[in-house]
Amino acid sequence: MRNSIKRIKTLAKRNFLEILRDPVNLAFMLGLPLLMEVLFFAIFHKLTSQFEIKYLAPGIVVFAQAFLTLFSGLLIALDRSTSFLTRLYVSPTRSHEFIFGYTFSLLPISLLQTVLFFVVGGLLDFSFWSVTMLLGILFSLVTSFLFIGLGILFGSLCTEKSIGGVSSAVVMGQSLLSGMWFPTEGMGKGFMAVMNALPFRNATLLLQNAVNGYQDLFTDLVRPLLILAAYAVVAFTAAILVFRRNMKGV
Amino acid sequence: MSVIKIDKLRKEYKDVVAVQGVDLEIEEGELFALLGVNGAGKSTLIKMLTCLTAPTSGDAYICGHSVVKESVEVKKLIDVSMQETAIARKLTVEENIRFYAELNGQSKEEIEKTMTMLYEAFDLGSVRGRQAAKLSGGWQRKLSIALALVSSPKVLFLDEPTLGLDVIARRELWKTIRSFRGKMSVVLTTHYMEEAEALADRIGIMKEGKLLFVGTKEALYQETGKANVEEAFISIVGGGELDA
Repeated sequence: MRNSIKRIKTLAKRNFLEILRDPVNLAFMLGLPLLMEVLFFAIFHKLTSQFEIKYLAPGIVVFAQAFLTLFSGLLIALDRSTSFLTRLYVSPTRSHEFIFGYTFSLLPISLLQTVLFFVVGGLLDFSFWSVTMLLGILFSLVTSFLFIGLGILFGSLCTEKSIGGVSSAVVMGQSLLSGMWFPTEGMGKGFMAVMNALPFRNATLLLQNAVNGYQDLFTDLVRPLLILAAYAVVAFTAAILVFRRNMKGV
Repeated sequence: MSVIKIDKLRKEYKDVVAVQGVDLEIEEGELFALLGVNGAGKSTLIKMLTCLTAPTSGDAYICGHSVVKESVEVKKLIDVSMQETAIARKLTVEENIRFYAELNGQSKEEIEKTMTMLYEAFDLGSVRGRQAAKLSGGWQRKLSIALALVSSPKVLFLDEPTLGLDVIARRELWKTIRSFRGKMSVVLTTHYMEEAEALADRIGIMKEGKLLFVGTKEALYQETGKANVEEAFISIVGGGELDA
């Protein structure tokens, strides 16, 4: 058990450094969302409530987390294509240790994203400061599990060439189906049903409601949390199965 | 004493038989070169011996441990350097070695010893602080092979270790690989006949999943009536049809 924890820590540290030392990763995971938070607030917050910081900041957090799928998937796909993982398969490392190693390397990055976009949100609009931010940070870890799980799954399935396209679908999904960039009132019932069944809008709603307060505990917090948890469990289970299959049949 | 004992090892992929019932024994401290054209089954054989893929039938034993039933034990005794350079690209040379040593459960003192040993053996000390991605291809390959020694394996598998390297880098690697003789058993696959000639104690020649010849260079020359490994290889694999 002690050796297993040590190996997970070693893997997580390596993955963390690999991701953080790539300036492109930082630009997309931190720089781009930060720019969008500042610009969309500055330009639109007086025109529509959609871009008030209390809605915009939690939405930006989830949007930025979608890039975790892209960059974790890319790291794994590259590790597979360069035989780096094959070498590690010959070490005493087990499949679940690899999964934990990738997951725990991304959680601090996710935490950094949430704190950064909340703090910037608080600086843009002082009324945003609240103790419920802490609840938002806590729930942001739950939403990040979904995107990390998808990243590990896609990285285990795709090549380094196809991973960009597949993961971009998640970023696009988070942009177009989360309801953060446009009002959802005028949407048709069918489209809303799709949005509510997918994880993207639920992730955004969960963080927005956690930070801004909720009217109904089940509808506003528990239901989106359960939907997200279900997607995350499915993503992680599939990731573990695919990873194990890869380990057995290099 | 045999460190590797291969017993009727066979691997089938759907309609292709990649390895057809290979039998082989490799001695302690021996440098064994496995030759064959593309698709001969060399890499598949290595993958089975390193527990990266399960055999369809047969078994192989590393220091008496079965690759089929005792993969955890086998993995403690072996290491591998694959065809492609396998390093953590954004980590420095030192961080790469430390990472791999920690994964193998080494203590801080053991890691320091490992680093000193590898810096000396591979001359890596001069680039220890440089990011692996920024090293030349030759240095990257050196690091990749050095990482395979971190765990102090009893058996080292080198799959095409000098593929794509320039002649100077290749000769430098040969010198390093030669230094392994007697310290561990080395199984290397290669397409370069002169590499096998320069390095190997014994040579195995594979074709279509079968081991057609196993023996010393001298035995190979004697069997084929040729004066070098390349001619002898062509004689066996090409059935003499490709003779110039």
